Amino acid sequence: MIAALAGVLAYFALALLGIVSARGRETAVLAVFAGLASLALWLPGFPEGFVGGLPWGIAVAGDLWALAFWSLALFLHAAVILHAWSKDSLRHALITLLVATCLAGSISRDLFNLYVVLELSSLLSVILIAKEGRSAALWAALRYILLAGLGMIFYLFGLGLVYGRTGALAITALSQTEVWDKPLRIGAGLLLAGATVKTGVFLFGLWLPQAHGHAPTEVSVLLSGLVVKLGVLALARLAEAFPLEPVLLALGLLTGFGGVLYALGEKDLKIMLGHHTVSQIGYMLLGLGLSAELGALLYLVAHGLFKGLLFLCAGEAVEAGATRSIPELVGKVPWPAALGLAVGSWAIVGLPPLAGFVAKNYLSLAQPIWAKAFLFLLSVGTAASFAKLLTLFRGQGGGKFGGIMLLAMGVIALGLWGILHNPAVLALQAWVEAVLAVGLGFLTYLLVREKRLPLPQFFLEHALLSVLLATVALSTILLIA
Amino acid sequence: MRPILALGLLSLAALLAAGIAGLWPRENPVDPDPIAQGWGVANAVACVVLGMRLWDTLFEVLVYVVAMVGVRFFLGTLCWRGELRPVAQSPLLRRAADLLLGPILVFALYVAASGHLGPGGGFPAGVIFGSALLLLALAKGMERLSAELYEPRLESLEYVAAVLLLSLGAIVLILEVRTSAAFIAANLLIALEVAIGAWAVLHRFASARGEV
Amino acid sequence: MESLSGLGLSVALALLGIWTMVVRRNLVWKLLGLNVASGGGILFLVALSHRPGVRPPIVGLGPGPAADALPQALVLTAVVIHFATLALALALVILLTEYRHTQDARKLEEGSV
Repeated sequence: MIAALAGVLAYFALALLGIVSARGRETAVLAVFAGLASLALWLPGFPEGFVGGLPWGIAVAGDLWALAFWSLALFLHAAVILHAWSKDSLRHALITLLVATCLAGSISRDLFNLYVVLELSSLLSVILIAKEGRSAALWAALRYILLAGLGMIFYLFGLGLVYGRTGALAITALSQTEVWDKPLRIGAGLLLAGATVKTGVFLFGLWLPQAHGHAPTEVSVLLSGLVVKLGVLALARLAEAFPLEPVLLALGLLTGFGGVLYALGEKDLKIMLGHHTVSQIGYMLLGLGLSAELGALLYLVAHGLFKGLLFLCAGEAVEAGATRSIPELVGKVPWPAALGLAVGSWAIVGLPPLAGFVAKNYLSLAQPIWAKAFLFLLSVGTAASFAKLLTLFRGQGGGKFGGIMLLAMGVIALGLWGILHNPAVLALQAWVEAVLAVGLGFLTYLLVREKRLPLPQFFLEHALLSVLLATVALSTILLIA
Repeated sequence: MRPILALGLLSLAALLAAGIAGLWPRENPVDPDPIAQGWGVANAVACVVLGMRLWDTLFEVLVYVVAMVGVRFFLGTLCWRGELRPVAQSPLLRRAADLLLGPILVFALYVAASGHLGPGGGFPAGVIFGSALLLLALAKGMERLSAELYEPRLESLEYVAAVLLLSLGAIVLILEVRTSAAFIAANLLIALEVAIGAWAVLHRFASARGEV
Repeated sequence: MESLSGLGLSVALALLGIWTMVVRRNLVWKLLGLNVASGGGILFLVALSHRPGVRPPIVGLGPGPAADALPQALVLTAVVIHFATLALALALVILLTEYRHTQDARKLEEGSV
């Protein structure tokens, strides 16, 4: 425990020193090494302990989630440093702060500590999104502040109700209480609503695609790969404390299909990837809802790697082509970015043997047939949407490749590790299913290519209203179920 | 849209009311006195904020620092447009500011340094100090004040204070040192932090207002 | 039961704030609504720590049992977080106004879609 706490503190301190000394790059590298050292010291994990002592201290634990999160965070941070080496010092320092926040959040097992960490991460994201200064990015950031702020108000009320009833804030203590009465049910609904807004779950305000799409390249990598996962982690902790599985399952389905529907007709490359982040969060929520925690965790890591790769290459492509529209980008993508996009798409549609395939299989292993059917349909939709990118895989000229190579190797290595680790993944049926899903997806793409689905566009007030209504609905469902 | 909103808000109110009604009968909370005395302080809230949940408070200070970084950065990109019209400068105001500044500073120091014994602490102290700065800004005019308070140096002081606070957190939480000296130090550092931040907000919002 | 007034007021503040956030189209109003609503959330926690006949949680300050110290400490953190968020959001509004010459959420949105 001490090693992890010291690692987090060192990470934060190095980031701050980076701001003071205007040497954000160097301190970021040092911070990654400090994080690695700390990880190596607590490596197999550590049992739950209370920072500050009982009865009011903050519960932290180095469980499997924390382990996966730390590895992913440090890996992504290294890739981002490598890719954005020439960017200004302040940005590197802020990114280091953001990664440190994620490290701190992943070991936290306390409702209020999660609240503080989520707020810190969203403030940092806002600054990083808006830092380029274009007005679309500013607007996306402000929209995010308002929606997340509303969600966090619900979270505070839920926290009050839960604390008022049980007198506990630690996840373990809450999961051990026998009570599950009115205040707890309503409180759990409000907490869930707050955390889902942060996660960017579909209908809880569609802030995510805009915010991630308009952010600078290396920032969208971290936002999609890491920061959203902090919300998923909070949801996993909540699901541990309260019986929320059915609700999470329903939210997962809604998120998965909603994200894909919006992504199908989207022509803007980065915003389309943002919609897919929403949809992929659906997979993780499905995993949590089906009690396949390991599958959800593996999916989280795999998605962090391949979506990071996709955003990195998309950012490169957009910068090189000076346009964000997919049809106009054809023939303007540099070679490393084109290859990276191909690897990332290969992984995200779930073709063997990359990380996406392995993660999807771990998720659907030992699940009922209807769940498998839904997962299959989701894969079809994802493939249909990614068929748009086929024309971008031909490269033109060279470009930066350090970060792209690192992430692509991560995607491949995770896939191979998963296959070697669990040979059941290698079953012929799984391969056939994966190829079939992609084939069907491609056919769907050919059919719907020219059609634009009449999807509702959410203005800010509609988004705010939908957050309110969905919160009320969630709490009511938990109350009467 | 408004009827739906009203309906949603009413149902939210009903849900919250149902939840609140279910809270009774309530158990008595933990008695804070022995815990506070175990940490060597009298104020149980200070014991929680700067002792047991110092881990949270560190993040909270970081939230504050980060927001100030953001405000400085975003408003720093705006150039000054036109002349700043000074607030009406009266000898009365200047005289009053001269007289009041000292007592306010002493009061802020007192609030920060005695936060572990009674109501008070670093955050209120920082805000009190910020109000003293506001008074000065009113009396002297923002431009003269900002010429006297050199900002870049203050800014680095703020980050250094945050780093010191993190190290203090390591001492208290990891080495488990429990003395009231740590509380006084933490309160003073937080007061410094908040005061500088308050100055940054005041200065930036007053000077970089742009022209609409 | 004394704390019911505080709890009721906190819910009312939250409703008022959310109403303002949704209905008003001006961004500054929206942020004011957000702040009022978060004030409600904070008041909720404070009111929860109150019981009839309690004294402040300071050693040796009056007779009777002490109020719950934990929510009061949490509130301190939440207040600072809300202040920081508001400051940052207002800075963004100033910058947006500078670029787009409007604070109307609907117009800003239509311009950037």
